[in-house]
Amino acid sequence: MAFYDYAHRTGWSYQADRWFHAASTIKIPVLLGVFAAIDRGKLQSYSRVHVRNRFLSAVGGQPFRVDPDRDSNVDVYSALGKTMQIRELARHMIVTSSNLATNVLIDILGLEEIQHTLRELGLHGIELRRGVEDIAAWEAGLNNRVTAAGLMNALRVVLEENRFSSDARREMMDILHSQEFRSGIPAGLPEAARVAHKTGEISTVAHDAGIVHLPDREPYVVVILTEWKPELGGRQSTIARISRAVYEYVTDGERNDD
Amino acid sequence: MANATMIDPAVLALPIVDAFELEEVHRSVLRPDELMADRAGRPRRLPRFFYEVDSWQTALTTSLTEYFELWEFMGVDVREAQPLRIFPRYVPCAVTLLATHLEVFRQAVNTYVRVAANGGYRSPGHRLNQHASPHCWGSAANIYRIGDEHLDSEEIIQRYSRMLSRLLPGAWIRPYGHGIGMADDHLHIDLGYVLVSPHDAPGDRRT
Repeated sequence: MAFYDYAHRTGWSYQADRWFHAASTIKIPVLLGVFAAIDRGKLQSYSRVHVRNRFLSAVGGQPFRVDPDRDSNVDVYSALGKTMQIRELARHMIVTSSNLATNVLIDILGLEEIQHTLRELGLHGIELRRGVEDIAAWEAGLNNRVTAAGLMNALRVVLEENRFSSDARREMMDILHSQEFRSGIPAGLPEAARVAHKTGEISTVAHDAGIVHLPDREPYVVVILTEWKPELGGRQSTIARISRAVYEYVTDGERNDD
Repeated sequence: MANATMIDPAVLALPIVDAFELEEVHRSVLRPDELMADRAGRPRRLPRFFYEVDSWQTALTTSLTEYFELWEFMGVDVREAQPLRIFPRYVPCAVTLLATHLEVFRQAVNTYVRVAANGGYRSPGHRLNQHASPHCWGSAANIYRIGDEHLDSEEIIQRYSRMLSRLLPGAWIRPYGHGIGMADDHLHIDLGYVLVSPHDAPGDRRT
């Protein structure tokens, strides 16, 4: 895990450079790629994109589709054949973790464009190498990977003022704050906390990466990446407990406002 | 706006323009009468006469047949050339023939026939057009949904493909498959590289 506190300008970490399968946390770097393209004028947030469930594998170029049963978002599926705005797709990608929206955005931007953005931002510890549910690439061992440090720095880029336009930062923060899956980091925090975050979970990993805003305090960034045997449960409660421990550390155990 | 001839509003209330008369920003993308090579390398001559559409409202309210309206052939995304995403927009006159063919199909299936975004008219400047595609002639449609059925399986696509072949023997239907020149998530029908000069189109002013 990795942590950075803007109140004291300090941070600490535990195995922050260890690589994990990214699961859906890879959508944070895709979000950066989208808004970097908007800031560069290559796209507008209102640009319309054809919603099509057909993508080409990063290995071999064979077409593949996202499985509707693994994607909870019906809004994006109901737009198949039609168009959606970039900002709508970005929101669905983060807020409900839509795999279809993610792949549509990767498709319109191109993997190389997003990778270029990550390099430009100086973000290490993030490897975006394929779209979501690209089984052929997965079978070939080509996966999206992240480290806790990599994701933490990605979130810091969203928060800090010098890398994106204020409009882009505001919109990214708004999207991340709208996250609907709240059983990880937010579950360990008092009601008054606001968290801009992205979760990720597959059979062997469960992650959460977020920016925590507490009342009358500078925010902190915390990234919790965990690995599990597929049969084990208790993942979200574990992340919530770690989140709670971080919260108690930064508030020095003095807050009893929940 | 170019010199335009208004045809009988009772027929089709859209100005017909000669793309040679358009300003450079549009002419350079529409490329009237230019040759564009198809996938096999054969040169095809791009259309010259277009309907001028001044607004999305006009597209929404312009019927081409009983069941098809102009907007259904104008849905494009950010990959379309930027000048052609802003009104006035231009659609080749062959779109009326395409709509007429689809109307035959529509009446046979007796339910909605939906044309996909980027699946009606696409200009030669559209990023999906690496070769001359009948989409640039306004004479091709990608159908992604018929009634409640999404065309996303071989069985469904083949079923409608066979029906289309019977109804419209002169039309070309892209074979089902995953490779180049095939389709696996829509039904592509086209009438070929059709050039249409409507009765009231401007005359040829070039020498």
